Amino acid sequence: MNEIDRREFLRRMMILGFSASAAATLLARCGAAQSPTAAPTAAPTAAPTAPPPAAGPAPATPATAQPPTPAPSAGDAYLAVARGESPAALVQTAIRAIGGMERFVKPGADVLIKPNICVAYHGPEYAATTNPEVVGALVALCLGAGARRVRVMDNPFGGTPEAAYARSGIADAVKAAGGQMEVMSEMKYATVPIPQGKDLKQIRIYRDALDADVFINVPIAKDHGLARLTLGMKNLLGVIWDRPAMHRNMGQRIAELTSLVRPTLTVVDAVRILVANGPTGGNLADVKQTNTVIASADIVAADAWATSLFGLKPADVSYIPAAAKMGLGTMDLAGVRVEEISV
Amino acid sequence: MTPQSWRRMRQAVQILAVLLFTYLLLGTRQGLPTFLPHDLFFRVDPLAGAAAMLAGRRWIPALALGLATIALAVVAGRAWCGWLCPLGAVLDWTRPRKPAAQDDPRGNWRTAKHALLLVILWAALLGNLTLLILDPLTILFRTMTASVLPAVNALLTAAESALYAIGPLQRPLEWADRILRGVGLVGGEPAFQQGIVLALLFGAIVALNAVRPRFWCRYLCPLGALLGLVSKVAFLRHRVDADACIACGKCARACPTGTIDPARGYAADPAECTLCLDCAAVCPTNAVGFRGHLAPAAWREYDPSRRQALLALGAAVAGVGLLRAAPAARRESPWLIRPPGARENGLLDKCIRCGECMKVCPTSGLQPSLFAAGLEGLWTPVLVPRLGYCDYSCHSCGQACPTGAIPPLALDDKRRAVLGVAYIDENRCIPWADGVDCIVCEEMCPVPEKAIQLDVQTVTRPDGTVAEVRRPRVIRERCIGCGICEYKCPLNGEAAIRVHAP
Repeated sequence: MNEIDRREFLRRMMILGFSASAAATLLARCGAAQSPTAAPTAAPTAAPTAPPPAAGPAPATPATAQPPTPAPSAGDAYLAVARGESPAALVQTAIRAIGGMERFVKPGADVLIKPNICVAYHGPEYAATTNPEVVGALVALCLGAGARRVRVMDNPFGGTPEAAYARSGIADAVKAAGGQMEVMSEMKYATVPIPQGKDLKQIRIYRDALDADVFINVPIAKDHGLARLTLGMKNLLGVIWDRPAMHRNMGQRIAELTSLVRPTLTVVDAVRILVANGPTGGNLADVKQTNTVIASADIVAADAWATSLFGLKPADVSYIPAAAKMGLGTMDLAGVRVEEISV
Repeated sequence: MTPQSWRRMRQAVQILAVLLFTYLLLGTRQGLPTFLPHDLFFRVDPLAGAAAMLAGRRWIPALALGLATIALAVVAGRAWCGWLCPLGAVLDWTRPRKPAAQDDPRGNWRTAKHALLLVILWAALLGNLTLLILDPLTILFRTMTASVLPAVNALLTAAESALYAIGPLQRPLEWADRILRGVGLVGGEPAFQQGIVLALLFGAIVALNAVRPRFWCRYLCPLGALLGLVSKVAFLRHRVDADACIACGKCARACPTGTIDPARGYAADPAECTLCLDCAAVCPTNAVGFRGHLAPAAWREYDPSRRQALLALGAAVAGVGLLRAAPAARRESPWLIRPPGARENGLLDKCIRCGECMKVCPTSGLQPSLFAAGLEGLWTPVLVPRLGYCDYSCHSCGQACPTGAIPPLALDDKRRAVLGVAYIDENRCIPWADGVDCIVCEEMCPVPEKAIQLDVQTVTRPDGTVAEVRRPRVIRERCIGCGICEYKCPLNGEAAIRVHAP
């Protein structure tokens, strides 16, 4: 008697399970078609508005796509560079100079902050990971501007996210400022087309990086063997699934990734920079205290300015000219308003 | 208390033991403290403890708790098996409700477990611990670590990803994901070689329940054999009140280890009885009780004899001899990359094959060895860099190891421990073979002064064009063999940079 009941129970559970998963699959299909990340079907074969290469200075406001960032008002700097002792004050000053956080974060906004937390190996004094005070100050500014929630995340390539978040000091700083750390779960990655992609037609990427109301990119300026420097655009590798694939034709591929992500705001942490043995670091002799924070809505401009800290030109870092050529921003800083402030 | 309520209490204790085992299993993760030692079940395992101390010729304080289990056996016989052993509980829960016919309670096959126990102990005396792979706790822990949890992880991850496409489910899934990640059921993508083999072996042990209830416990378990021998002098023993007994035979049929002998007035051998109280619970006349005894129980037909002990010695000597004469002992495999500090430490005669290190390894780079360490080192830990690297920020394996087979190195020392050396295959490496930049290995190299350097060279590519390319080169003195270069090498299949044993 009992045996049959159990069997019957199992049979029903199985039928239920199968129909539920069938329904889920069906729903998933429909859901995917409507999902905002699942991109337009219209093939972007027309290579939209690729600006003529090397045709003088690029326009101050990038022409392609729709930059998600509101245009600066008359008094605001296009790019701000703050120098001084206190990382938090540098962030506040630089953001104020480009229009204040209210320009980027509207009340109720869902904000995602992407620092560089590439490894779980060292504390922030080794300059392998973004300065926790810089990240904490950004969280506080976003909340001050009325953000609904502020999440901070990265996908380390060395060590677990939990260990890296803790070791970098960022977990504590974010918590103290009222934000939350998020471990990047596999379920949240989706493969989406890159409309402007020539070398990369599609990419598997963390959905929230595309869906969040505001995406703030907070790289630390570091040495890198292939790219020469890892700055804002290189930092975007943290939101895609397959990083090693980016290492062929890296400059172009990073630019194409940037064309997809388009951060609202880029804040380059150059409080300390790593001048050799990057991006992992581990040697204090390779760390240089530069006490600088750079902020701009234009990721290309921010990266271009940051090259000067290493005695390089924007054109030396392959993804910067590639991105400028795609119209994602300007690398010609003479054509835009740069404000340098000492704090 | 009635026998029925005693039995219910036993069942409750079994559930608690399995819950504790599960808690400690899931808690065996990088940097995660548990309220009890995460390796508690190995600490109280007298078989693993005795064998490890015999083989290593040293006192291992952490394993001294095994004496408590021995003491429990002196008081209450094989109560460990009936009440506390998590594998025993699993076998109890999976045995058929209507068991196959009982075999002869005097059946000689019961002696197999004694043979196994004796071979294990003799071999340990000869410095070999290979057969500890058959310790019930290592079986359960290893199977959970290398088969069950990775499968659960993969299924949950797939389910999450499939359901996440449905908009309204995203919020609840984020909550669920945070919880599942918190308890260690999701995240980290664990994957183990031989996971399926281990699952099949475990499945076989469970399936043997259908041949005889608790087949494993009555015929094969070496820990059960050890505790059984101690139980010969157990104080608390099964006893039948001959006046009350109506010889209905219910207890003999109910006994999960089949030790109740109708031919001997329904007496049980304390070495086979697990004090499960099933007999007392089914007895219609309350004739079964558990009373104190002081005189040792009789030696039975299946109990070890001097002859068996000598045969076991012979088998152990022959086995150890053959293992020492195996090619793996003559020339080590280049892929025998041991956990940090373990090679210098002489892992083989200290490792009880428990799998704690593999469970705690955050990259699941530590894998149960199949061939690399030869048959002698079966299921001992080896780093397989293509599956997972040794994390520069982690020293958990040394902290997790219950026997010190992997030394508990401080993080700074572990970072300098050399596991192997990386070599570049210039025929396949992208910059070397194709003249195209790549440098992933250099980027990943975690040592402060990178052990991989890039040389700018002007090369002729296979298609005849000339280009400048950065070619990686390993500086051997700096390489610690962590294997992250091999893990991350973007080539398909085998990496173009491989870590060899030092």
